[in-house]
Amino acid sequence: MNARHSARIGRYLLTFALVVVAVAAVYPLLFTVVSSLKTQSGFANDPLGLPAGITLDNYLEAFRRMDMPRLLLNSLITTLGGLVLSVLAALLVAYAVTKLRFRGGKVVFLLIIVTLTIPSQAIIYPLYQTVLDLGMSGEYQGLILAYAAFGLPLGTYQLAGYFQQVPDELIEAARVDGAGHLTILFRLLAPIATPALAALAIFNFVWMWNDLLLPLVIMGGSDSKTLMVGVSLLSGQYDVSVPLVSAGLIVALLPVLVIYLVFQRQLVAGALAGSGK
Amino acid sequence: MTISTAPVAEPAAADAPTAPARPPRRPAHAREWWLGAALVLPALVLALLFKVVPLVRGVITSFESSSGFGGSEFAGADNYTRMFDDPMVLTSFRNALLVVATLPVWIVVPLVLALLIHQRAPGWKFFRAVYFVPYTIAPIVVGIMFRQILSPDGPVNALLRGVGLEPLAIEWLNGRNSALFSLVAVALWSFFGLGVMTYLAGLATIPEETLEAAYLDGAGFFRRLWSVVVPMLRPTVAYWSVLCASGVLIWLFPLIYALTQGGPGDATMLPEYLVFLTTFQFLDRGYGSAIGIALFVFVALLSIFSVRHMFTEGTRKPR
Repeated sequence: MNARHSARIGRYLLTFALVVVAVAAVYPLLFTVVSSLKTQSGFANDPLGLPAGITLDNYLEAFRRMDMPRLLLNSLITTLGGLVLSVLAALLVAYAVTKLRFRGGKVVFLLIIVTLTIPSQAIIYPLYQTVLDLGMSGEYQGLILAYAAFGLPLGTYQLAGYFQQVPDELIEAARVDGAGHLTILFRLLAPIATPALAALAIFNFVWMWNDLLLPLVIMGGSDSKTLMVGVSLLSGQYDVSVPLVSAGLIVALLPVLVIYLVFQRQLVAGALAGSGK
Repeated sequence: MTISTAPVAEPAAADAPTAPARPPRRPAHAREWWLGAALVLPALVLALLFKVVPLVRGVITSFESSSGFGGSEFAGADNYTRMFDDPMVLTSFRNALLVVATLPVWIVVPLVLALLIHQRAPGWKFFRAVYFVPYTIAPIVVGIMFRQILSPDGPVNALLRGVGLEPLAIEWLNGRNSALFSLVAVALWSFFGLGVMTYLAGLATIPEETLEAAYLDGAGFFRRLWSVVVPMLRPTVAYWSVLCASGVLIWLFPLIYALTQGGPGDATMLPEYLVFLTTFQFLDRGYGSAIGIALFVFVALLSIFSVRHMFTEGTRKPR
C-alpha cells in the first residue's frame, strides 16, 4: 500500500518535471508569436500580456523590408545543395572505406573525421580568401560547397558505422548475382541505411538552414545572402520595433519548424536506428 | 590536383611483388582500388579545399603582420607573443575554460530528461516532440528572441518578481557574471533537445527483457538505473560528450553576436567571437589568424578523444 502510494507520488513528480521543462521549451516561442501580433504601442503598453487586438502589419512590414521571397529562395537553394552534396559524398566514402578492398581507406576516413576538429570560426578568414580565390564569393556554389565540406565528417562517420553493420556476405551474394558496385551502394546499402539517411538529412537541413557565420562571410551583403543573414541585418536596424523583429523571427524559424513537425516520426525513427550500434 | 595523383603511384609499386603470387586476383584488386579512389575523391577534395587548405593558409597568415587594406609581410612569431600580453585574448580563453567547465551540465541534464521520458508516463511522446523544438530554431533567432525574454522588464524578471524573488530580477545581460551565465543558459536551452533525442535513441537499444530480468531479480528503480541502464548507455554518453566538447564553443558564436557582442566589457568575449572581431572589424588579419589557430588547438585538444573514438567505431568489424 505504502509502496504504491509513493509510486503514485513519483508519477506526479515525474509529470510535473516534464511539464515545467516543456513550458520552458516553448514559452520563448509563444512570447515571440504574441509580440509579433501586437502593434508597436500595444507592445510598449503591455509587453507581457496578450494583445488587445491582433495585427498582421508587422509581417507585411517584415516582408517589405527583407525581400523575403528572395531570401527564402537563397536559403532553400544553398541548404538543399549543401545537404545533397554532403550526404552523397559521405555515402561514397563510407562505401569505399567499409566495403571495398581499398588500401589507404582508413587514412582517408581518419583525415575526413579529423576535420571535425577544425571549427569554421578558427579558419574563417582564410576560408573566405579561398572562396574568393575560387571566384565563388557571393555565389551559391561557394556556400553550397562549404556547407558540404562542413557536413562531411559527421555524415561519413554515421554512414560508415551503419554500413559496418551490414554483413559482407550480403554484398558477396549481390556480387555473385552480377550487381555492380554502384548498384550495391544505391540499390542495396542505401535503402538499408534509409533511417540513418533521413536523420542525417534532417540534421543537416537544420544546421545549414540555421547557420549564420558561413553565409555571413561568404555571401556578405550580396543578393544571394540567406534568410539568417537577412534576419541578423534586420535586427541591427535602428528604427526596428520589437513586434517587427518578432515577425521577422517567426518567418525565419517557421520553415524548419514545419519540416520538423512533418518529418517528426522519421527523425525519431532515424535517430533510433542510427545509434543502433 | 596533386590530391589524386599522390596516392595512386604508391600502391602500384606495392602491388608489384605480390602480383606473381596470385595473378588472377590482381586486376580485380587494382580495379577495386581505382574505384575506391574515385569514390573518395569528391569528399577528399571538399575536405582539403574548405578545411585543410584554409587551415594551412591560416597558419601562414598568422606569421604575417597584415592589417588594414595594405599588404602583408613576414613577422615571425610576433602575433603569438602579442597574444600572451593581450588581456582581451587571455580573458577570452579564460571565459572559454569557464564555458567548458559547464560541460557536465550539458551531458547530465539531457540524460535525466531522457530517462524521465523513457518512463513512458502519459504523454511522453508529446514531451519528446516538444523538447526538440528549441533545437530547430536558428541560434541567431534564439539570440534575438532572448534579448526580449531576458530584458530588465521581460518575462523572466516578471516571473521572478511574481514569485517573490525580486532581488534575482537583475539586468541579466549587463552583469559581468550574469551575462556569461545567461549566454550559456540560452545555449543550453537551444541544444538540450538534441541531447534528449540522442539519449532516447541510445535508451531504445536496451532490450526490454534485460530490464525485466533485473526487475524480477528484485532490483529497485535506482538500482536498475545505475547497474543496467547507465552502463549500457555508455556509447551514447560518449557520443554526446564528443559532440558537446567539440561544439559548445562553436554554438555560442551566433548567440554572442545577437545577445552581448562580447560585452559588458569583455565579460562574454570568447575566442571565436574575438577572431571574427579582430579579422573583420579591426581588419588585423595576421593577428586574427593567430587567435584562430590558438582556438583550433584548443578545440582539437578537447575533441581528440572523440575523434579516436569515432575512428575505432567506424572501422571496427561487427562481432
